[in-house]
Amino acid sequence: MAQPVVQIQHLQKHFGKFQALKDITFDVYPGEVFGFIGPNGAGKSTTIRTLLGILKKSSGQATIFGQDVWSQAVAIHKRLAYVPGDVYLWPNLSGGEAIDLFLKLNGQKHSAKTDALIKDFDLDVSKKNRTYSKGNRQKVALIAAFSTDADLYIFDEPTSGLDPLMEEVFQKHVLALKAAGKSVLLSSHILSEVERMCDRIGIIRQGTIIETGTLDDMRQLSRTQVTVTTVKDLSTIQQLPAVHSFNQTGNKATFAVDSENLASVMTALAPLEIKQLQSTPPTLEDLFLRYYNQEA
Amino acid sequence: MFSTHYAKTGQLLRLNLRRDWLKIVFWLIGLVGLMAGAAAKFDGLYGTKKAMATIITTLKTPAMVSLMGPFTAKPPYTVAIVYAAEMMTFMGLFVAMMNIYFAVHTTRGDEDSGVLELIRAHSVGRSSALTAAILELVIINVIAGVLEALGLQASGMTGMNAGGNWLFGLGLAMFGLMFGAFSLLFAQIADSSRGATILSYSWLGILYVIRMGTDVKNPDYTWWTIYGWIEKLDIYGKNNWGPVGLMLLMTVIIGALTIMVGATRDVGAGLLPDRAGRKRASLFLAGPLSLIARLERTSTIIWLVGLFFLGATYGSIFGTAGDLLKSNPMMSKLIGTAATDAANRAIVLSFANKLTIIFAVLAIIPGLITMFRLNGDERKGYFEQLHARSVSRAHLFFAIAGFGLVVSLATFFLAVCGMYVAGAASMGDNMPSFAHFMRGFWGFAPALIVTFGFGALLSGLLPKLQTLAWILPAYGFFSLYLGALMNFPKWSTQLTPFGWVNTVPVKAVNWGTAGWMTALGLILVVVGYIAYQRRDLLEN
Repeated sequence: MAQPVVQIQHLQKHFGKFQALKDITFDVYPGEVFGFIGPNGAGKSTTIRTLLGILKKSSGQATIFGQDVWSQAVAIHKRLAYVPGDVYLWPNLSGGEAIDLFLKLNGQKHSAKTDALIKDFDLDVSKKNRTYSKGNRQKVALIAAFSTDADLYIFDEPTSGLDPLMEEVFQKHVLALKAAGKSVLLSSHILSEVERMCDRIGIIRQGTIIETGTLDDMRQLSRTQVTVTTVKDLSTIQQLPAVHSFNQTGNKATFAVDSENLASVMTALAPLEIKQLQSTPPTLEDLFLRYYNQEA
Repeated sequence: MFSTHYAKTGQLLRLNLRRDWLKIVFWLIGLVGLMAGAAAKFDGLYGTKKAMATIITTLKTPAMVSLMGPFTAKPPYTVAIVYAAEMMTFMGLFVAMMNIYFAVHTTRGDEDSGVLELIRAHSVGRSSALTAAILELVIINVIAGVLEALGLQASGMTGMNAGGNWLFGLGLAMFGLMFGAFSLLFAQIADSSRGATILSYSWLGILYVIRMGTDVKNPDYTWWTIYGWIEKLDIYGKNNWGPVGLMLLMTVIIGALTIMVGATRDVGAGLLPDRAGRKRASLFLAGPLSLIARLERTSTIIWLVGLFFLGATYGSIFGTAGDLLKSNPMMSKLIGTAATDAANRAIVLSFANKLTIIFAVLAIIPGLITMFRLNGDERKGYFEQLHARSVSRAHLFFAIAGFGLVVSLATFFLAVCGMYVAGAASMGDNMPSFAHFMRGFWGFAPALIVTFGFGALLSGLLPKLQTLAWILPAYGFFSLYLGALMNFPKWSTQLTPFGWVNTVPVKAVNWGTAGWMTALGLILVVVGYIAYQRRDLLEN
C-alpha cells in the first residue's frame, strides 16, 4: 500500500484534567475518502483541530504528508483545504471577498473553477457575511476549499446547514476529488453521506477510536437480522451461541446472528426444511447505534 | 398590547442582573470609591488659605477650564466647592462610559451573540428585552447615585452640605442615565454592538470637545452642549436642580424614541440597510496584514481624524492660555515683555505636557483594540480558516501587533500635530517651535509602546485575562490627570509607564529612558508572541 497521507498513532489531548482524546489511531491513504464518525462530544473536532495545528497534542504521533502537524503546520497547510462545521466569517466582508482571501492565503487565485463552484452552490457572493445563514456561510468555506488545489481535504460536518439539493452538490464534488486521486477526511453525522462516499470508516467514542475498516468489514463484525419459516420445529436454534434476540411464533422465528457465524447457523437450519428465509444485513444506523451504545 | 410588548420583562431583568452583577459591583466600587476617597482627602490638600488661593488661580486658567469646566463659584470658597469643580466633569465622563458599556452590552451584545433570538422565541414581549435593559440602567444609576451621595456625606469634607451631596450623586445618576439612553438609541440604529459602541463614544467625544470650546470662549453657550449641563449644577453653591430636570426630559424623549425604533425594527438588523459588498476581493486584500487593515479601516480613520481634531481643539486655546500674564499688566511691567513672552511659552509647554499624556493614553486605545482581535476573532471562530491555510502564527501575530502599534503611534503623532497647528494659529509668533512639541511625542511614544507591549504580552500569555491590560492606560490617565491635583505620592504615579517619562516637552527628551523603554516594549511583544505560538488556540 502507498504511504499514508495522514498518520495518527496513539494521539492524546488533555484540557486540564479533562482527557478529550485518549487513544486516536488511524491512517488516511491517497485517493481515499475516510469517514470519521462518532457521537457528539466524542472528540472528532478536537482530533481535526489537532491535525490542523490549532491545538497542541499532549502525546502520541500525528503527521500529514509525513510532516509533524504542529511544527510543520504552515508547510502542510499549503497542500490542504479545510471546512469546519461552524463557519464564522468577518461580518463586514462580503462572501466573495472571503473566498478570494482564503484562496490568496494559500497562494492561489480566483479561477474559472471558483466561478463554476459559486454557480453550483448557488451563492450570492456580493452579500455581507453577517447576512448569511449558517448554510450560506458553509457554502463560502466549501467553495474556497473545493476551489483550492490541494492533496488533502478535511471536512468537519460540512453539510450540517445545507439543504438536500446542496448536499447532492457537495457529494458530487467530493466524489470528483476522489476520482482525481485526492484524499478526503470527512467527519459527518449524515450516514447516507458516509455510506455513499467513504471507502473506510473510523468510529470514535469518548476520545478513543473503537473501530476502523471498510463498511463491509464492519458488517462482518455485526449481526444479520434473519426471519425464517420452517416445516420442523426450530426452537433448537435458540441454543446456538451465535443466535441472539430469538423470537418464535409457531414455525416462524426472528433472530439476529453474528454475521461471521451466519454459515454455521444456516447449516443448522437446513435439516429443519426451510420454507421461507429472509436475511437483512445490518443498516449503517444499526451499526452505529450498536457502537455508540457499547459499554466502554 | 401590554402583553405583546412587555411580557416577562421582570424575569429578563432578573436574568440580566444575575449575569451582570459582578461587573456592576466593580463599576460601583470604582465610582463610589473614587468619589468618597477623593472627598476624604481634599481637606488635607486645600485646608490652608494659601493652598486654596493657588488652586483657585489654577482652576481659572483656560487650560484647566478646558479640562474640567469653568470655575464659576463665588467666594467664600470652601474645599467642597473646589472638589465639585475638579470632580464633576471628570466623573461625568466615567459615569457616561459605564452607561455606554451596559447599554450596548445588554441590548446589541445579546443580539449579536444570538441570545436575543432564543429569548424572543419564548413568550416574551417585543419590547421586553429593551425595557429590561432600560430598567437595569435605571437601577444601576440610582444605586450609584445614592451610594455616591452617602459616600460624600460620610467623607466629612469641609463646606459640604446634604443638599449638595444628593445633587452631586443624583445629578451624576441622571447624567449617566441620559447617556445610557443615547447609547440604547444608537444600539437600535447601528447593526452591531461594535457599531453601537463607536457611535456612542463618538457622540460623547463630540459633546465633550464642544463643551470644552464653549467653556473657554463663553460658558453661557455651554447650555447648548448637553454635556455641559453637569457643570451648571453649581454644587455646594446654589445647588441648582434645574439641569437635572433638563437631563430627565432629554432621557425621557430619547428613551421613548428608542422604544419606538426598537419595536419596529427586525432583530439583528439596524435601521440603516446593508449595502451590497464586493463580489471579488480587491488586489489589496491578500494576507493577514491587509485583512486586519481592511477590518479596522473605518475605526482607524475615525481615530486618526478624531485625535487630530482633539489636538487642534486643545491647541486653539493656547492663545488664551498664553495671554495669562499679559492680562496682568502689573506682572508684565515687573518682568518685562521679553520675559512675559518666555513665561507664556513656558505655560503653554507645561499645558502641552498634560495634553500629550492624555493623547498618548487615548492613542493606545485603537492599538489595544486591534491587538485583542488576536483572541477575540479567534474565539468567534473567524480565524479558524486562517489557521487552516498556510499562514504561520508568527505572520498573524506580528501583522496584528504591527498594525495596532503603528495605528497607535500615528494617532498619537496626529494629535500632537493637531495641537501644534491650531496652537500656532492662535498664538502667532510667540508659539514654541514644532520641534518643541515633538519632544512630547518622542518622550511619550516609548510609554505608549510599553503599554502596548503589556497588552500584547497578556494576549499571548493569558488570553482570558487580556482585558486587564486596560488597567495601565486607565490608571495612567487617572494618576496623571488627577494625581497632580491630589498630591499623589511619586511612587503611585510611577506604576504606569506614563509616569516614567520626564516632563516633556518642557524638558528635553531623555533619550536613554526613551531607548530602554522602547526596547522593553518590543521585548514584551516578542515574549507575547513566544507564548502565543506555544499554546492552544482558543476554541469557540
